[in-house]
Amino acid sequence: MIKFVVFICGAIVMSFEILGSRVLAPNFGSSVFVWGSLISVFLAGLSAGYYLGGRLADTNPSSRKLGLILIAPGLLFMTFPLYSGPVSDWIFVQDLGVRISPLIASSVLFLVPSVFLGIVSPYTAKLMICSLHTSGKTIGTLYALSTFGSIIGTLITSFYLITLVGVNALIMGQGILLIVLTLPLYFMNLNCSIENASQAGGMCDTK
Amino acid sequence: MVRIFCLLVLCLTLYPLQGYALEPSEKLLFEKNSLYQYIQVIEDTVKKERYVRNQKREFTQGGIYVNAPDKLLLEFTRMSFVSLAFLDSDPKDVLFVGLGAGAMPRYFSGRYPDAVIDIAEIDPDMLAVAQKYFYFKENERMKVHIDDGRLFIKRTKKKFDWIVLDAYQNDYIPFHLTTLEFLREVKNRLKDNGVVAANIVSPFRNKFFDSMVMTYKKTFPHLYIFKGKKSGNFVFVATASSKIRDKDSIEARARKIQSARKFDIDLEDFAARCEACEAYEWEGAKILTDDFAPVNLYQHQKSGAP
Repeated sequence: MIKFVVFICGAIVMSFEILGSRVLAPNFGSSVFVWGSLISVFLAGLSAGYYLGGRLADTNPSSRKLGLILIAPGLLFMTFPLYSGPVSDWIFVQDLGVRISPLIASSVLFLVPSVFLGIVSPYTAKLMICSLHTSGKTIGTLYALSTFGSIIGTLITSFYLITLVGVNALIMGQGILLIVLTLPLYFMNLNCSIENASQAGGMCDTK
Repeated sequence: MVRIFCLLVLCLTLYPLQGYALEPSEKLLFEKNSLYQYIQVIEDTVKKERYVRNQKREFTQGGIYVNAPDKLLLEFTRMSFVSLAFLDSDPKDVLFVGLGAGAMPRYFSGRYPDAVIDIAEIDPDMLAVAQKYFYFKENERMKVHIDDGRLFIKRTKKKFDWIVLDAYQNDYIPFHLTTLEFLREVKNRLKDNGVVAANIVSPFRNKFFDSMVMTYKKTFPHLYIFKGKKSGNFVFVATASSKIRDKDSIEARARKIQSARKFDIDLEDFAARCEACEAYEWEGAKILTDDFAPVNLYQHQKSGAP
């Protein structure tokens, strides 16, 4: 299940990025500046999320907490159509130039959700490592699954989804998917029980 | 690692500029990978014609006769001028979205020297090409704005009598210049009796064409369609006012402009080709919006119209 969550979150990140280009175009065009802003903001969000996720994972990680973390981007996605239009329009009116405008718009619209989605990778790695003992294999598998999810997310979105449904509906759909994912995370109630033991016995090296 | 790096460098040095598919009679005058596109300026030394295009010859964006640079070479540029017959008076404020070789604005300003012309072109290299190879010159009545067409239209406070939309490349159509929201913004910048002319390329009748018909119809009170004889180009003419124009009045008006402004193209003949958009309407086609516009896919799909 954890692996499935990692896969889906990887898919959603990249799918959201592709849809982001569509969201920005009406106000900022689709130039190389727009793509550059979009990609760098997503990467900034992910790197911040990895860092934060790693720290969070060191204090009693559990699948329930992971579920709580996913609710945030879930809600942001579900309400995306409500704020994306007014926010882009406002930034358009400020007219800060062909580079700064799309950079700011990307930051406002896409940074926070990508931070939350970035948390997922290190957090799930910790959750799985402390219940198993083959940390290298686990981390490798999770990285692979997350990136594989991203590939699938990119391809499905740009090849098919965009030709079937509207952009706003797709982003809201992703939000719903994230919220639904929190349910199994809540009920499976996976904890880092070994972590508590390791405080005494040092079985699981948290460094 | 080193080997991969060397391979990459090799690919990058071999790949880019190589003068795509030249005929023996063609001479490459200029090529560049600009911020937005691959630009190639070609001269056909036998036909004495000069073109600017992307990759393949079907992707010609503009051109001139080398010996008669003031004539219009490409069919859609000649055909677009028929839209002037839908105006009740001479246009004073004009906007071109997409410069190409600059042949249309140059031709227009030669016939209407009093008109004020704005041109929105996203690519500064295209402007440089138009100036260097196609005799295009800005002056105080004709200005080029380096900006995305949609952003220029959203930002400008001016209203226009005549707006010409020609910003689609054959191989790549920016979706944000096809949507209902965009066309509403265009209509917003038209004077009460203003007219829009758009160059729509549909080599075979595709879904993109169907959707454009329905999207224009939804935005403007009236749409008229002109079909190219030699090319896969259509010119869409849409009016801001709800006044209906019949074929006779358009032909009469075309004839009048033709002699008054000394057009060397047969506007009346083009006017006679006017078709009501009903002939092309197909209810099954989807209206394109900012939310839903799979333009690139629709270009490759055959029309669903019976």
